Amino acid sequence: MKLGVVVQRYGADINGGAELHARYITEHLARHHEVEVLTTCARDYVTWRNELPPGIETVGQIPVRRFPVRRARDPERFGRRSRHVFERPHSVTDELAWLDSEGPSSPALIRHLRRRKAQYDYLIFFSYRYPHAYHGVRAASRQALLVPTAERDPAVGVSLFGPIFRGVRAIMYNSPEERALINAAADNASVPSVVVGVGSEVPARPEPMRFRRTFGVEGPFAVYVGRIDENKGCRELFGHFARYAAAFPRGLQLVLIGGATMPVPDHPRIRHLGFVSDQEKFDAIAAADLLIMPSFFESLSMVVLEAWALGRPVLVNGRCDVLKGQCLRSGAGLYYETFEEFVETLYALEASGPLNGPFGRNGRAYFARHYAWPVIERKYLDMLDRLAREDAAGAAPARLEPVPGWLARRRRSLPPAREVVDALPAGPVLEGAAPSATPPGAGPAGPAPSRPAPSGGPGDPRPGPRSGPPRRGRDSRHGRRARPRPS
Amino acid sequence: MTEFNVRSDAVDVEQIMRQVRARIREKRGVDYTEDEIRQLASVKLEKFLDPSGVRSDLIEQFRRRQPETEPPLNYTFEDDTIYTTHRGLLRWFRRLLNPVLKLLFNPNPISHVLHLQSQINDRFYTRNQKREQLDPLYFEVMHNLVLEMTKLGIEVKNLKMRVESLSSRLDFDERRARTLEDVVQYRPGTAATPVAGGEAPGNSEEGTGNERRRRRRRRRRRGGRGSGESGGGSVDAAGGDQEAPSRGGEGAASPAGDAPPDPADDGDAEDQ
Repeated sequence: MKLGVVVQRYGADINGGAELHARYITEHLARHHEVEVLTTCARDYVTWRNELPPGIETVGQIPVRRFPVRRARDPERFGRRSRHVFERPHSVTDELAWLDSEGPSSPALIRHLRRRKAQYDYLIFFSYRYPHAYHGVRAASRQALLVPTAERDPAVGVSLFGPIFRGVRAIMYNSPEERALINAAADNASVPSVVVGVGSEVPARPEPMRFRRTFGVEGPFAVYVGRIDENKGCRELFGHFARYAAAFPRGLQLVLIGGATMPVPDHPRIRHLGFVSDQEKFDAIAAADLLIMPSFFESLSMVVLEAWALGRPVLVNGRCDVLKGQCLRSGAGLYYETFEEFVETLYALEASGPLNGPFGRNGRAYFARHYAWPVIERKYLDMLDRLAREDAAGAAPARLEPVPGWLARRRRSLPPAREVVDALPAGPVLEGAAPSATPPGAGPAGPAPSRPAPSGGPGDPRPGPRSGPPRRGRDSRHGRRARPRPS
Repeated sequence: MTEFNVRSDAVDVEQIMRQVRARIREKRGVDYTEDEIRQLASVKLEKFLDPSGVRSDLIEQFRRRQPETEPPLNYTFEDDTIYTTHRGLLRWFRRLLNPVLKLLFNPNPISHVLHLQSQINDRFYTRNQKREQLDPLYFEVMHNLVLEMTKLGIEVKNLKMRVESLSSRLDFDERRARTLEDVVQYRPGTAATPVAGGEAPGNSEEGTGNERRRRRRRRRRRGGRGSGESGGGSVDAAGGDQEAPSRGGEGAASPAGDAPPDPADDGDAEDQ
């Protein structure tokens, strides 16, 4: 079977969430099938400038075919169009213009897909919100599998993506919350899908003491790993932690790992280490008492999974449905929504400290049950087998809805995307918790996967009831407006 | 702080979060929102805790607002004041007709009363002036009281926070100690190892303590010969014998044995 992985950026040194996800999946699928990566020449997710040479190169023994981006992103134009589509009634043409301004737009890549799609048995598209996924799925919908990596942001409410979510052959979700969100937004419960996520190459024996020696970190500490950015909830984290540190003068430190796009406060108990190697990152997580993930928007936090794999509890932002749902299902972490909850939960985890065995054990078990590589690989392979059987049986897949006509595209009748998302049900998925829950057989798919998923089987096809009411004005709860996110 | 039961493998995160929220409600008394709490806090701070809000120029302000009191209009009233005029002829004519006037009514009491009133006015004015001189002093006292009260308020608040911090630290330490105690695994046989000769563990400790005590006495005697017999003797009687039996098992690695026989160090060294 020949597979094509279509992603906006690809490279050994490109570590964005979706891109890393794509690379890991590619490398693991390559052990079972022939895989080729189709991507752009961009390296920077803000500008999408062509920095890498077009053509074929090999990255980790995987052939990578790069196509040039038509033009770099103009942030001002993208911001203006985002505001228009997210906040005001608009038309399909407006949405197409927004998608084009978001980038990376690569007509050569889409042309290649249209002309050479027969060379591939299946094409796996990563990140629904970029032009390569939208136009790529339209070019080769009969072979398209989608890994949406969707977060609860206004882009989910853009009407362009509804036909994409309904028209692909299968969807590989990252979490039950993501599936529930997209099912509610696009009414695509009949599309074969599976909650998969992604594994991580966690070393078997990290060395916490090496990290402490290298960076001179003493005493208990909480670690945050990721981009230090307001969109990731870091401003709130700094505020909360400063107040917590004042209340508990001898408590743990906060160690930050990752690049900073905002100033890190000068506080005696906050240490910013900048970029570190993967090995040092794992050593740091292993050395920490707990990991804090303050992000409001996550489709799947790999670093949370890595913490669980290393037996560390986590403290997450409870306003992110995905993170909260993962904590509830795993029993391996706590969450906060207010400062008081932050204090109480951090104190609870700190006071139990490294002795917090049950959380660690639960985290390890949860990771091994749902996110170990054999489990992830099996889910992908099962889905591919299932589609291959359907194709062999001559089952007709759902047709992709055509783009509206010239006049309909210009009719300004679409509601603001933010309103659409705010009206969708929110909250963690508490029932049907097994992340491997497989899709309904009622869709055009027919036969069930050849093997039951390792942890839950084909039961519970639909997302469970959401614990919260439809969430309106979500951003007002956060006290800020979500900015259009570049990647 | 709340005690969370996370010792079981079946951790119920929702239950822990319910406990967390219950604890927060308990602390607050009422389930205020974050914004409401901030608003309440800011009102209190504005009214009470802001020392810059106390006006240091209170006396100046007071003086500025008090208009300079004009002396009240007063006059001297004598017996002949009612006949006074600047016209000489008219004055002579009034004096001439004065007996006739006195036939009709007696003006003397009126003159007397008005004279007294004039004196009363003078006295009142003097007293009022004295009072006005005291007013700035009263205000200064009041100003100082306000200032001291504000300082005390801040200090009380600080002490409250400190007490809260100390209690939370104590709570934290106790909790961590309890957690550590829970995980310490005692190897079977370590605590109840039979001692050769069939002695109970307590007796063996006592025996070890006695040996140590004897060694210590010997060393003190050796040291005492250099520094004087009386000093060494008093140590044995007073300090060493009282402390040693109860701590005999702990002092095996104590530096006291190597230390010079200093009476003051004896107990402290064993504590180490």
